[in-house]
Amino acid sequence: MSGGSARSLAKGSAPPGPVPQGLIRVYSMRFCPFAQRTLLVLKAKGIGHEIVNINLKNKPEWFFTKNPFGLVPVLENSQGQLIYESAITCEYLDEAYPGKKLLPDDPYEKACQKMVFELFSKVPPLVTSFIRRQNNEDGSGLKEELRKEFSKLEEVLTNKKTTFFGGNSLSMIDYLIWPWFERLEVLELNECVDHTPKLKLWMAAMREDPAVSSLLIEAKAFRGFLDLYLQNSPEACDYGL
Amino acid sequence: MEDATRTFGKGSCPPGPVPEGLIRVYSMRFCPFAHRTRLVLRAKGIRHEVININLRNKPEWYYTKHPSGQIPVLENSKCQLIYESVIACEYLDDAYPGRKLYPYDPYERARQKMLLELFYKILGYQNTVFFGGDCISMIDYLFWPWFERLDVYGIADCLNHTPALRLWTAAMKQDPTVCALLIDRSIFLGFLNLYFQNNPDAFDYGLTC
Repeated sequence: MSGGSARSLAKGSAPPGPVPQGLIRVYSMRFCPFAQRTLLVLKAKGIGHEIVNINLKNKPEWFFTKNPFGLVPVLENSQGQLIYESAITCEYLDEAYPGKKLLPDDPYEKACQKMVFELFSKVPPLVTSFIRRQNNEDGSGLKEELRKEFSKLEEVLTNKKTTFFGGNSLSMIDYLIWPWFERLEVLELNECVDHTPKLKLWMAAMREDPAVSSLLIEAKAFRGFLDLYLQNSPEACDYGL
Repeated sequence: MEDATRTFGKGSCPPGPVPEGLIRVYSMRFCPFAHRTRLVLRAKGIRHEVININLRNKPEWYYTKHPSGQIPVLENSKCQLIYESVIACEYLDDAYPGRKLYPYDPYERARQKMLLELFYKILGYQNTVFFGGDCISMIDYLFWPWFERLDVYGIADCLNHTPALRLWTAAMKQDPTVCALLIDRSIFLGFLNLYFQNNPDAFDYGLTC
């Protein structure tokens, strides 16, 4: 139950017990980019945690008591406190746990990271639209829109003259946007970064990060998951196990 | 009121740099998003100046403050610009001393942010006219009383931001049931006036018998 490669819990499953002291639990799904944000922060900060994977195509009834929206990720601590919405879970972990701060202390620098996050906000729905497009659509319109959004991010790196979005070392904003960039290759969207060289360099630098590389999803597994997920198969979330 | 100044429109001169010791907010008197920032400035006693922007006739210089000319934007004396109302509010809470508006406890902070997400889901995420679909249903009636009262206060929203809500309000007012029970604005205001004075006659205000 504690591993990221555990079978998901589905309808009819028994709810997991209380979270043991000293650990925090994350309700997740192995291929979900939003949950990946939380896993990245847990890893980067070395926070002791257990993972409970949820079958998003066949959700356990008890899961809605964890998050009324029924979405992952959700954090649950040993005091029974529940936190959801991926960006909120990440900020909570940074505030509640010691060690390296991923968000800057300086109020303006922190606000800048949040403004970049807003700048990125059109990317996830665009990628979702691309994934869900019908077979006869070639997606070139969506690719063009993605290129536009990526240009905005390129401009940030150009103005800052740093490798990462928060400065010369990796920080919260980089982890928050990474999961979608990881998926570009397997989705055959890599061409969308052809005109944004700094973004390309950033992607390469991200892959060197220990937290990022430890959570990389194998391309074949992601493809296998995606095909089943788009068919609404209850087997999708456990693909490869 | 510091914000009761005429707007800057197209052709206007850009304001000078922000004086030391002050922070500037680019705003508009009726915009609810800018209103958030002005609330926080006031609650924390932060010395500030307000520049109102004509949102239908934006000054060219304003696009140097925000790429698409939105408000609110904060500008400090170091020429740092902060935008998105929620980000601006959090910046003010972090950067200025005195009363903290967000709680200290990380879980309580997270709870407030989760509540805000709920609010956005109500405000903006519907893509049908009514909250339940194309016809009025229970959820619309359950929400309506609060929105009717807001409407009675005559808040002219920053209409660009919440077109769906404006459409919904208009559609609701066409519903015969909603229509039949609409509270008369002046009677409601009369009631409120007496109610806040703890006057027991408040409850019968406007009755003629």
